[in-house]
Amino acid sequence: MNNDAMDVDTAETIAGVVRLLRRAAVMAWAAADRAGAGSHRQLLALGVDLAADEARQLVPVDTDLAGPIPVGDDPAGLLTSAWLLLRRLAAPGASDALLDLQTAVANLVWEANTGVDA
Amino acid sequence: MSTLDRRSVDELLADSDLLAREALLEMSANRALGMVREWPQLIKSAAELWAILPHEPTVSASGDPMAILAAMGSALRHSLAAGHWPGQGPTDESWEQIGANFTQARRLLKGLPVASEAMSTPEQTGPTAAKTQVLHALYVAAHATAVALAGYERDLQRRLEVSARRREPLLERPTALEVESAKGMTARFDAIEQLAAGSLGARRINAAGQPATGRHRSATTRLGTALVAWEIQAHRTLASHPDPADLVRIARVQALIATTTGVISEAAARIGEVDAGVIERVAPALENAHLAWSRSARRWAELTTPASRTDPALVEAASELRAAIAAAVANQTGWASPDQIAARIDLPATAMTLHRSMVAGVELANVTREVAADHPGLAAPARVIAMRAQGEAEVAIEQGETRFEGVTWVTPRQIAVNQVIPLPEPARRGLVNSATDVVAATNQAVAAGAHLNPIEHASREGADRPRPVGRAAPDREIPIHHPYRGGPSR
Repeated sequence: MNNDAMDVDTAETIAGVVRLLRRAAVMAWAAADRAGAGSHRQLLALGVDLAADEARQLVPVDTDLAGPIPVGDDPAGLLTSAWLLLRRLAAPGASDALLDLQTAVANLVWEANTGVDA
Repeated sequence: MSTLDRRSVDELLADSDLLAREALLEMSANRALGMVREWPQLIKSAAELWAILPHEPTVSASGDPMAILAAMGSALRHSLAAGHWPGQGPTDESWEQIGANFTQARRLLKGLPVASEAMSTPEQTGPTAAKTQVLHALYVAAHATAVALAGYERDLQRRLEVSARRREPLLERPTALEVESAKGMTARFDAIEQLAAGSLGARRINAAGQPATGRHRSATTRLGTALVAWEIQAHRTLASHPDPADLVRIARVQALIATTTGVISEAAARIGEVDAGVIERVAPALENAHLAWSRSARRWAELTTPASRTDPALVEAASELRAAIAAAVANQTGWASPDQIAARIDLPATAMTLHRSMVAGVELANVTREVAADHPGLAAPARVIAMRAQGEAEVAIEQGETRFEGVTWVTPRQIAVNQVIPLPEPARRGLVNSATDVVAATNQAVAAGAHLNPIEHASREGADRPRPVGRAAPDREIPIHHPYRGGPSR
């Protein structure tokens, strides 16, 4: 995606995705840390972190990402919201990076929903 | 190499990899010139071994870089012979040993009718994995040489500046030309390293397409390659202009590596590949390492801002490592069972790979501490700094430190707008202490995990097999470096 040419609506939508993913990551890490050193939940939490990083790279450096903290403390729900936003953006002709992110988030939704005690 | 050397090809290649990694950890600028001088012979030995290994139909040309590596080695040999920098002189013993290992491996294989058959028994490395191991050792060795050269170049530059200031005799000063020569040689080794790295990546992609019989080996190789790529990228990110978000990611990934080492070690113990007593000692140490890295991650996370941006190359390396770990040890509902893991990867080899990665983790922890101590670019939101600086300053004052008394670290205006400002010294102290804990915990995990080494495990079972070249387990604890001591880094 050409960050310089990105329209304001798209940038704001991706910024919303970044906030959702970052919130999901915080919640996922809290669950992983609570579960202790051997928890497999680290894999999900790290995956969400990395998806948030990839989303961050899709918007220009100076994009305002400081908006409101998303409501909710369930990683699966937050990830699903992020995926719905991404699906709206990932129309035919969207960049490979955006499509890859949409796939990655879809996989994370699935991982979050199939965890041991999900 | 002595005729008494009874090591297998597998052991010779593993030892070569270990020597290269140890050199990388040492990061000694003093070894730089010897490494450069010995490099042409090392590459020549590698190319001769490579030549008798069978052609791999599943590996593309990009995964077979030996011709160009040999050509680059040959060019360097000519350059040195012509008297160009660094000229003739002592060579590096570890690089000599790696070359000797390759030569010995070639001797072993040459005496056999078909090299591929000689290496296809369950106990030994197959030709694809053998080539990958050779390439991997060269990759790490090239990187270690480049790091040592960069350190040497900085030392020269510093000596040049100091001697000019002190008006020392010209004959005792390094020359600007020498500095430029070191810089140029560093660039050459960077290129060699990148060539080897690209080929390793291409081989990994090809390996993923191998038939089912190769899956076991493929997952093992994928994880090993992803670990090395991660270690090197983490060093590169820390050496440039790290954002606190980079430090968070590095700490979280290192914590995951500690956990994965525990999962794989336990699986190896359950199926009898590793002594259960060893696991009893290793498990608590790994848990402590995990907890220390996790605490470090949370501490760095306090310094991130909404605008924080993780290094894209670091994200890519972390993503591949996460995928490789998941493919090796996880399933849909959590960690895979020991039997499932054993069916996917070579447990002893992977345990050794992870142990080596923990050794590299000690150095990463040291570099993290150096970043926390004195990296000039570190900045964070004023409110967090105010809270942390005040707390750390109070602790320091209680311990008799008078410099922080009455000092205000953040202005009311900076707090009002939560401005991102450079980290003052007291705010760094907590990060340094946290990193020191990581160094100690990781160091203990390395020492406890030394007996996970399957070569040592095998040698306990077979008294006729010699111990591998290298230091004894208790000697493998990495010394803790002082964060303010300037060691060579990139």
